Parts: sequence; structure tokens; C-alpha cells
Amino acid sequence: MLRWEVVGSRLLYPLLLMSQVLVGAGFVIGFGLLIPDLDSATAQYLATGAVVISLVLVGLVVAPQLVAQQKMQGSYDYVWSMPVPRSAAVLASTTLAAVVAIPGIAAALLVARWRYDMSLTIDPTVVPAFLLTLACGSFLGSAVGHAVNKPQVTMLISQLAIFLIIGFSPVSFSADRLPGWLATVHESLPLHHMALAVRSSLTDGLVEMTARSWAALSLWTAVSGMITAVVLVRRR
Amino acid sequence: MTLSISDVAIRSGSAFWLAGYTSMLRFELRNLRTYLTIGLAIQILLGAGMAFVYGFYFGELDEAQQTFLVTGIPTLALVPIGFVMVPNAIMEHKLRDTYDYVWSLPVPRASSAMASFTIFTALGLPGVVIALVIASMTYEVDMSVSWVVVPAVLFTSAMAAVVGYAVGHAVPEPRVVALMTNVVMFLVLLFSPIVVAIEQFPDWWAGTHRILPFWHMSVVIRAGLTDGLVTTSVTASYGVLLAWSAGATLVAAWVIGRRS
Repeated sequence: MLRWEVVGSRLLYPLLLMSQVLVGAGFVIGFGLLIPDLDSATAQYLATGAVVISLVLVGLVVAPQLVAQQKMQGSYDYVWSMPVPRSAAVLASTTLAAVVAIPGIAAALLVARWRYDMSLTIDPTVVPAFLLTLACGSFLGSAVGHAVNKPQVTMLISQLAIFLIIGFSPVSFSADRLPGWLATVHESLPLHHMALAVRSSLTDGLVEMTARSWAALSLWTAVSGMITAVVLVRRR
Repeated sequence: MTLSISDVAIRSGSAFWLAGYTSMLRFELRNLRTYLTIGLAIQILLGAGMAFVYGFYFGELDEAQQTFLVTGIPTLALVPIGFVMVPNAIMEHKLRDTYDYVWSLPVPRASSAMASFTIFTALGLPGVVIALVIASMTYEVDMSVSWVVVPAVLFTSAMAAVVGYAVGHAVPEPRVVALMTNVVMFLVLLFSPIVVAIEQFPDWWAGTHRILPFWHMSVVIRAGLTDGLVTTSVTASYGVLLAWSAGATLVAAWVIGRRS
């Protein structure tokens, strides 16, 4: 299935890679230009925020849009009719999403180094942080993509998701800038914890990752995995 | 049956033009009605929504900076209409193969073009007002609104619609247009001195923005909303915007005037 996905979307992936790099780097540079009196903490927030956004976007946005596209082209049922386990098919597209995310992450971090002299202190928690963030995002994305029958609705949901993730989530700025109620809402959503996990694994002394956040993130990943499983097993 | 010459005579004159204009106005309004509602939603999201988003990213701002932010919001609400929705509406005709049909309607092409401009210029206005009101409730702002803002908003809205119209008709490939509109939004939201002062940008990039229309749009609108916040020449900004409108009108006139 991995091979099939690679070949099936070979035209799409270079484009996706390019846009990931542009968005990752552009995000860091652009907000850097706009924010008055940028200090190093803000720059670190921006750069690590761009990493989280790359990781989440590929799962939450790219995966459902690919499924939506298959549905529009009418090849969706054909893919499902192939004699492979459905879970293998989903894992294959998740793996590809991970590969697509890497250049965007690298671009964001390199640009941050170059423009803001940012130093990274990478510790081993980077592995679970990245994996959980990516897995949780793409499980949720696949669930939406497969569960919603109208491709246009999927597109709309993912466009809105981009706007909310970038604009109204404490991913690239600290949660205390949000109004109180919104910060409370984010306590129970996965994004805040994803950002904490990734940020604490890449920087030193900026934020503190708590056991509670690890628990919340793991729980979300497990639950979203189950939702995806339920959606996939369901027969029409 | 034979056709007499009077049946196929070329009709012209201002009355015929006006009739064409009003019927195209009705035609486009019906045609675009769902699109227009979505447009208003997008404007409010991008206008008022971005006011909050920038606030989250920027952190502490003094009053002058807050006023700057809020008075940039109308420009942010206008850009997606003219530069994104207008070319996309034309692309939609091309994709659905109704493009040639619209041109085949028995109205002067210029009247059809004018009907599009009118609708999209008017469409921009309610979103601008709503976005501005929401934004100014969120921040402490020192605004002194003068009548100058009315022609400023109308003019920038029309300029954006004309440029978008020229792009939509001149670029044959829908995917290229989609790419261009995405690039424009990316540029405007992240790399433009619309909600911050242009002095904050590196020289070469500020220089680019003195040629592009976006910064000038924000200058003329801000001049109508505040007193003393705009330090550059408003007349010069109007000049640049006028040049963009004139250039786009020429392109549009050439494209819709040629025969395929």
C-alpha cells in the first residue's frame, strides 16, 4: 500500500513538499517581520510553533483532502476494494504524511537559526513528542476524511481547521495571551499539549512539559485511533 | 422566412448600454448568491478574526500600535474580495464551461464588466464595516473618522475588483489563478505592512510594497480613520492605486475586447 500511495500521488507530493517548506519558512519569517520588538522567547515560540503546525497540518489537513480527492475522482471505493487490511492502508498514508512533514520542519528550524540565532537543545523526548503529535493529527484527519461523505464539506472543515490552529490555538504563542475561557477549552484539546511536548523537547527552559500533558496527549492519540478504527470498519 | 436588415442591426446607445448593465447586474446577483454569502463570512473571519489573531501573536501593544492594527483591518477585509473572489468567480465560469455563454449574452461586454465591478465593490462594504466595528471593540483605539474614508474604501474596493477581474480574464489556466490567489493571501497576511508600520520592514521589502497595491490601500483607508497616524503622502498612494486601476482596466479592456 505504501508503494501504491507513493505512485498514486506522485504528482501531488512534490507540490505538497514545496508548499510545506514555503509555509514553514514563510511563517517564521513573516510573523518575525510583523511582530514589533521581537525577543528571543517569542522567536522560539514562533519557530517551534511552525514545527507543530507542520506536524499537525499534514495529518489533519492533507490526509482528509487526499481522501476527499479520491472520493471526487471516484477512485475511493476502488482503493477500498483492494485485498489489503484497511488499517495498513491508513498507516501507509500516515507514513507518507510524516515524510512530507520533514522538509517543512527542517525549513522552519533552519530559518529560525539563521534569522534569530536560535539555539536548539534537543532532548530524547523529541521522538515521542513528534510521533504522538503526528499520529494524533493524522488519525483525526483520516477519521474526518473517511467519515464525511461530501468532499466539499471535508475541504471546508480542513480550511477552518487551518485557520483555528494557526490563529486561535496556543501553538505559536503562550496560552496566557488567549482569553481565559479559550485557554481553558484548549486544556482539554490536544493542540496545546502537542505544542508543549514539541516545544519542551526542542528548547531549554522555555516551557515545562508535565506528566498531565503527556497523559492528555496519549489519551487523545488513543481515542482518535479508535475513532478512525470505528469509521474504517463500518460498512455502508 | 427572411431576415430583414433591421432584425440584425447593431444596437448601441446609452439606453441599450444601461439596459444591458441592469440585466447583467441581476444576472450576476442571482448567479453569485451563495458565493456572496460565503464572501461575507470570509471577510468577517479574515477581517475581525485576524484582528484577534494578530493580537495573540503580537502580545503587548501600545495605543498607537493598536490603532494601527485596527485601521489595517478594513484593508484585510477588502483584499480577499477583489483579489481572490473576483478571479475565482470568473474561473468558476471557465471550469463550468459557462464562460463563453456569458459572453454570448446580447449585452455590451463593457456593461457586463461594469456590473461585475459594481457587485464586488458593493459586496466588500458590509464586511469592512462589521470587521472594523468588531476590531475596534477589542482594542483601545484612538480613531477620528472623517468623510474621506468613504471614497477611500470605495476606491480601494473598486481597484481590487478591477485588478482581480483583469487577472481572472487574462490568465487562461484556472490552476494558475488558484495559485496566484493563494500567494496573494499569504503575502498579505504575513508579509505586508498593513497592520504594522512600513518602517518595521527591511528596506528592499518596503520598497517592493511601495509598488504593490496592498500597503497603499491601507494608507488611504487609515488616513480616513485616524488623525496624524499616516505620515506618508496620501496623494501619492492614491496615485499608485490609480495607476494599478488604469493598468488593470487596459488589460481587462484588451481581453474582453478581443475575439477568440
